[in-house]
Amino acid sequence: MASGIRDRVVIVGMGCTAFGERWNASSEDLMVEAFDEALTDAGLERASIDAAWLGSALDDVNVGNSALPLAFALRLPPIPVTRVENMCATGTEALRAAVYAVAAGACDVAVALGVEKLKDTGYGGLPLRTKGVANDLWMPYGSAPGTFAQLAGAYAARHGIIAEDLKRAMAHVSWKSHQNGALNPKAHLRKAVSMETILDAPMIADPLGLFDCCGVSDGAACAIVTTPDIARGLGKRDLVTLKSVQLCASNGWESGYGQWDGAYVRTTREAAKRAYQEAGIGDPSAELGLAEVHDCFSVTELVTMEDLQLSDEGRAPFDILDGRFDRSGSLPCQADGGLKCFGHPVGASGLRMAYEVYNQLLGRAGPRQQAQVDLGLTHNLGGTPYNSVAAVAVLGRLD
Amino acid sequence: MAGMIVKRMGAYLPLLRLRRRAAADALHWSGLGGGHKGYRSVAGWDEDAVSFAVEAARLAKAPDADPPALVFASTSAPFLERSHAGIVVDALALPRTTRSVDVANSRRCAVSMLAIALSGSSGEDILIAAGERRPTAPGGALQLAWGDAGAAILVGEGPGGARLLGAASLTHDFADVYASREHPTPYASEDRFIRDVAVGDIMVPAIASALRAAGVAAADIAAAVVHEPVSGCYRAIAAQLGLGAPNNLDRVVEAAGDLGAAHVLYGLALALDEANPGDRLLVVGFGGGCDALVLEVTGATPGSDSAARALAQGQAFDEYVRFLSLSGSLDLDWGARSEVELKTSASTLHRHGRDVTGFIGGRDTGGNVQFPKSPVPVAPGATGGLIDTRLADTPATVVSFTSDRLAYCPDPPFKFGLVQFDNGARLPMEFCDAPSGGIQVGEALVMRFRVKALDRKRGFRTYFWKAAPHQRPMLEI
Repeated sequence: MASGIRDRVVIVGMGCTAFGERWNASSEDLMVEAFDEALTDAGLERASIDAAWLGSALDDVNVGNSALPLAFALRLPPIPVTRVENMCATGTEALRAAVYAVAAGACDVAVALGVEKLKDTGYGGLPLRTKGVANDLWMPYGSAPGTFAQLAGAYAARHGIIAEDLKRAMAHVSWKSHQNGALNPKAHLRKAVSMETILDAPMIADPLGLFDCCGVSDGAACAIVTTPDIARGLGKRDLVTLKSVQLCASNGWESGYGQWDGAYVRTTREAAKRAYQEAGIGDPSAELGLAEVHDCFSVTELVTMEDLQLSDEGRAPFDILDGRFDRSGSLPCQADGGLKCFGHPVGASGLRMAYEVYNQLLGRAGPRQQAQVDLGLTHNLGGTPYNSVAAVAVLGRLD
Repeated sequence: MAGMIVKRMGAYLPLLRLRRRAAADALHWSGLGGGHKGYRSVAGWDEDAVSFAVEAARLAKAPDADPPALVFASTSAPFLERSHAGIVVDALALPRTTRSVDVANSRRCAVSMLAIALSGSSGEDILIAAGERRPTAPGGALQLAWGDAGAAILVGEGPGGARLLGAASLTHDFADVYASREHPTPYASEDRFIRDVAVGDIMVPAIASALRAAGVAAADIAAAVVHEPVSGCYRAIAAQLGLGAPNNLDRVVEAAGDLGAAHVLYGLALALDEANPGDRLLVVGFGGGCDALVLEVTGATPGSDSAARALAQGQAFDEYVRFLSLSGSLDLDWGARSEVELKTSASTLHRHGRDVTGFIGGRDTGGNVQFPKSPVPVAPGATGGLIDTRLADTPATVVSFTSDRLAYCPDPPFKFGLVQFDNGARLPMEFCDAPSGGIQVGEALVMRFRVKALDRKRGFRTYFWKAAPHQRPMLEI
């Protein structure tokens, strides 16, 4: 394996808008808001930016195509600006591009900014998009909850868990995220809800009820990355570094070849394996202090705990119900409320996850601050369980 | 035995049956609606004349031989300019050298083609596939009297179920009921007028002539399959001609409705399923005249048992508003999520249509089957080209499934999941005919030919296959 990017790039500044129904903010407003916070945090001048990557997944909704929306919104100097899109993993994809550019020595300071303005669609949930004119002839047009809901039945069949027990564990996932989101002033949903409310909610896609699903939001998040030397030159003492950033894309094996049982996400497993290797992590459940995973739906978070090796096979429902991933548990998960409550402006979500881990590592997480966080993980998942892109990053302090 | 005979048959009904009583109750205040006995077969949102014809044709087609000629028959075909027979040819994965034609505009058209086929001497098989999903207006008696269905018949040389003893036709431009471009739902004349003219001027003369041509006495007819324009016609005909056999179509009318172009073929399948060798059958198609055929049963007719089975199976429902929506009589506001536009690319359909419509995947050199085909096989390490492999008749099971209430569907919830075929192929698919309780992982599935997408703005539709539970429930009587 290549030597990787471990400790070669640091995050020198981050920003994140409040997520939610930002009726009075345009996508340009959101980009500027996130960027200004990151730039102030970094203590850099705009002119020092060498390159930028814009992450926006749903180009037809407000933001627009190409990298121009970012260049226009920030009035960037004439530098390389690139738009990346990899479904819901777009935010981490933008970060990966910026990190790789710095690690490669192609630039000194790079910006990754993710933005989405989903509430301008006029309805809840993600907009329906073409899957390509040939695929449109045969592929089903289910919703995002519909595709992820299928994990539940397959997981129950694989592990012999009864539907009611699985539903209760899923409900706990959402209950926990609402508890955490209530402490986050930037979260879209800031109200704690009871288990009964979650369990009795209207069904969206069997067995996912309303509270098993994250909503969609407006928002933006931004990271400015550079080399450790440049960061130290800025007078930065506590440096947050990327221990690894890995990504895996389905090649059709899950949906087109008869070996996958539908009860896990293969791309997450592969990306995690490589991320742990790159980061030098041998026992992730013991070494990680915090995880921000792609909890688009409660069942996604549940299977992700096993896919990331944070729970043993078939044990995630029980670990969840035991409170292991609660804020008071041994491995807090979604301390900021996650997609479920912080919100899900698609292109921004991966960077929002990094924002929380970054703040936790720097001791800036306010009432959500965990006592001891040395390594934190982000997991950003796009597509469906059977046709997915998974990105896993590990952040830590630079020794 | 030389000569053209009925070789195979197929009959298909949609899963849904509206209890006519429920509709009559909903319309009670108005005094409209017609009869309240029995059921009306109701097409799902994704079923039409073509999908019905395909399902019936799958049953009627010989498994080991492709018919060189195919006829699609319907008065409710969705396109004015696009060969529906061409879609059926692709759906059955018949060769492109298949001769094909659409016949239409009279509910008699399928029987007319049957008469021509049985009278022919080509010796070549001809598959006649009829499908019907006729638009009707709420309140009109025909909305509840008519039903949606498909029926198909394979005619050719060789062993089979029935041969033609004699036939007669009569052409008579008779506007008992019509539909037009300007008035797509039926406009019917007075029943008494229809009955008198249809019986006296059209049906009795034609049937008498056919019996004479066949050399068969009316009393020797074992079963009748007579398409009545209005009820009571057959009773009057039987009395005039001395027919003692019951009309097999009475059962169809009560359990599903008048099935238009598929009606007589459906009843013929019922009759052949129950007939004994040597029985004589009277088969009469009506509409703008009459075709009367006298058949002699010569043996078993494979596929004919599908007619009785389909009548006995189904899912009854009482929601009149759901029926109005499904039948296109009521345009519900489905909200912004239904506004999605997915324009079909003609050139893409040209490239992929045969595989999509025919459900043809590919088998790699290692034996793994996949859909769709791809330049690089999906099986890890596999290389080389893929050999066409049809999936429409391959057994399959559920890998994962959900009922999705967020995705737009004209008959929610939208059901879809991952399907595993016994030959190794796997793909995400829409489900149809699924019970309200859902489908379980590992459950057996069959494939059904359905409308994939309706582009209402451009008046276009595409077809693909959907997964359905292997077993249908028995209809609650």
